[in-house]
Amino acid sequence: MSAPLIPNLLSLRGSRGGNRNRTRRQGGRGGAPAPGSRSGPDHDSIIQGTDTDAAVSRMSAVDLDYLHDPFAQYFVSSSPGTSNSRRLPIINRGTYTRTAALDRLVTQFLDGGDGPKQIVSLGAGTDTRPLRIFSDPRWRGMEIVYHEVDFPTMAEKKLRIAQGVPTVRIVLGNASVSPPQAPTTPKTASRPLSPPQRPGRAPGPLPETPTLEPTPPETMTWTSKPRLNSSYTFTGIDLRHLPSSPPATLLGLRKDIPTLILSECCLCYLTPSNASAVISYLTSLISPCTNPATTDTPPTTTPISLALYEPIKPDDSFGKMMISNLAARGIHMPTLSSYQTTLDQERRLCTAGFEEVRVKTVKDIWDTWVAEEEKERVDGLEGLDEVEEWELLAGHYVVAWGWRGEELNGLGF
Amino acid sequence: MSDLDKAIAQLRACRPIPEAQVRELCHKARELLIEEGNVVTISAPVTICGDIHGQFHDLMELFRVGGDVPDTNYLFMGDFVDRGFYSLETFLLLLCLKVRYPDRMTLIRGNHESRQITTVYGFYDECLRKYGSANVWRYCCDVFDYLALGAIVLGASNNLTPGSLGVGDDPPSSSDMTDYVDHDIEIEVCNAEGQVISQFRRTRGNSGGSSSQGGGGRGEGGGADGTQGSSSPMRKSKSPSPGAPSQTGPPGSGASGSSSGSVGNPAGAVLCVHGGLSPLVDTIDKIRLLDRKQEVPHEGAMCDLLWSDPDEIDGWGLSPRGAGFLFGADIVKMFNHRNDLSLIARAHQLVMEGFKEMFDASIVTVWSAPNYCYRCGNVAALLELFEDESGTGVLSRSNGDVNRVAALAAAQAAAAAGGGGGGTDKGTMQMLENEMINAGRPGPGRRYRVFQAAPQDSRGMPAKKPVADYFL
Repeated sequence: MSAPLIPNLLSLRGSRGGNRNRTRRQGGRGGAPAPGSRSGPDHDSIIQGTDTDAAVSRMSAVDLDYLHDPFAQYFVSSSPGTSNSRRLPIINRGTYTRTAALDRLVTQFLDGGDGPKQIVSLGAGTDTRPLRIFSDPRWRGMEIVYHEVDFPTMAEKKLRIAQGVPTVRIVLGNASVSPPQAPTTPKTASRPLSPPQRPGRAPGPLPETPTLEPTPPETMTWTSKPRLNSSYTFTGIDLRHLPSSPPATLLGLRKDIPTLILSECCLCYLTPSNASAVISYLTSLISPCTNPATTDTPPTTTPISLALYEPIKPDDSFGKMMISNLAARGIHMPTLSSYQTTLDQERRLCTAGFEEVRVKTVKDIWDTWVAEEEKERVDGLEGLDEVEEWELLAGHYVVAWGWRGEELNGLGF
Repeated sequence: MSDLDKAIAQLRACRPIPEAQVRELCHKARELLIEEGNVVTISAPVTICGDIHGQFHDLMELFRVGGDVPDTNYLFMGDFVDRGFYSLETFLLLLCLKVRYPDRMTLIRGNHESRQITTVYGFYDECLRKYGSANVWRYCCDVFDYLALGAIVLGASNNLTPGSLGVGDDPPSSSDMTDYVDHDIEIEVCNAEGQVISQFRRTRGNSGGSSSQGGGGRGEGGGADGTQGSSSPMRKSKSPSPGAPSQTGPPGSGASGSSSGSVGNPAGAVLCVHGGLSPLVDTIDKIRLLDRKQEVPHEGAMCDLLWSDPDEIDGWGLSPRGAGFLFGADIVKMFNHRNDLSLIARAHQLVMEGFKEMFDASIVTVWSAPNYCYRCGNVAALLELFEDESGTGVLSRSNGDVNRVAALAAAQAAAAAGGGGGGTDKGTMQMLENEMINAGRPGPGRRYRVFQAAPQDSRGMPAKKPVADYFL
């Protein structure tokens, strides 16, 4: 009846992220000092942990019927059915709203005009969006090229699930790792790839394939064919190294079809210059801004769009507390001080070369994008007695999006 | 040392007490609470606190800033549990103190003191985690059903009692503070160290001595003095000590102004309730008639009292919370007038500055959970009301008509005299009454003590910081 009864609130969290299996790549990466002082391996694993955070939040929202996502369960590590994954209503509403916002943009993008479409999702982690899209009857016959980009460890984690969970494998198709990891393990690994909810995962580290020569940047890419005319590619690469990578790094990246780049709380973990470099690497690869004055090729601009989801307003008292709370978890968001307001975000996208840009706070999105009857349904799930707090929290996150190319006009409306 | 005192000591160290002891405590508490009316009558002086929400260490900070029990009388306006990680210790400590010092602790019910809400917002899970069963949660919920719905504070002084320090003053070691009373100060805002951050004078009636004492004149006066508080000549500009809240913000509306300056003029009563008013309740007596010993219903008067919010609207509006209502200035002023109240104190809504006066200081929100949910970055406040020592204070229950009728008669006579013959017609009466409603009664002197979250590691607690969730 004493000290041991004080709940160790962090113990609920400890198993996430912290115990994550990591390849020992920091040893192999030798010469490449990570840009940005806080971006050491520790910070990387913490940032990877935010993916777990998002996955648990998504599971909570799904469990409580905020969202419909049959795939969410395969990406949370905690044993199913426990209350560990339950989040407070305010977080559930936030998860719902951001998902609804990005779903809306993605849906409009996919539905806009005929022809194939490409999505590049940065920091995708264990996001279930590709699974939802490829299993959605609305886009059954459509040609969709879906790229996800995240750390190599995330690529491995997702591969394990994609191969180990039949439901996921059916949607994505059989995965092939490319380039084939030549010298050692054949594709059918010596150890069975088990879904993460199996308890057996804990003791050993990943089946560490004897590493190839450390050729920076380290990548781990796998692809699959969800259907004949579509492809899914997970490129495991440290995003900071992407801008200096050869153009072929993102395998199968198309330059001729309308493309939507997504960054759900991803680019904010990079330095502003890194983040800009990632954006311009992609935009110039896919849709080079041909300047008729300097080139003689006719301007053939592939329609391209970027949608960001990230926090803003680090400077008011809520924002300061957010910075300090996240810092206590080892999370730093370097771009936050560069893009503090909705206006800053608009300018950022304009500077990145998007012709039309829009920004909405999560609070605005809830207020204006969620239909009344849907609001009623969502509010009825748990009741939300956190009105003032919601306005604070949801006012500190934005979805910013911009596009170039007439085909995308009106995106988001 | 009695068992109760032992339990208090243990809980003060943030250690839960054994289940059997909780059961006994809850039983005793219920016996005590069942004797209380739906609206408890208490006398000033009293320190009024808003939501605590299981932020145990901040409750300790509150006691440090406001004075310890039983030296200070406290009125907690509900929402002891949920959201924070120490709802159990928080509620049990408050309950122990209630049982130990029944006349010095008043607890009223908040909307989170409910079975349904606590299963969503954390208290249920916390009990389960700490005891392995839901028994303690059940005992506590049974107590919730007996908590009063409101309280009336009588005998509050119009003046502030010394107790604060001027900026830069040393702690009160000498007696030079004790006989300083500025009768014109209506509102004083102090930081956690007792240093005055700002003061607001009572605004006078129109200087021309015109017939209209209240109404627009007073409202404008109050607004000017209050909302523009930063330019008030009384404001002390020297920055408070480091670590102290530097931005408390002026009260939402500010000083009321019809003080006649008479010595010890008593303030009207102050109604304390967690949420606010209900369209089904126009007199305090209607609250007294409710059957409160039940789970908080989804609708009806009892629900509204615990769920409603004041808002800048006319009349009543739908609440975004899905329970209770929004109510405007007209509703508050009419209610205060009808019930002879000078002020409604309520909690329920996070305010970043810790407190917020609205509607010409006819209602105030007090929020006592600093850095709410370890995330919001807000400061907290408590509200001190003082004892009227002049002997003319309102010591009897005062939601009757006596004062109002007398005043109205006087006004009526004045109007008749000025009106040149022809008795007062109904229209004039109505107009006069409206003015009086708008004017309200002079508010009690109010000292807000504003404080910040307790440093987590300063109390021998595990240095682990609570983790706040964000959208990542």
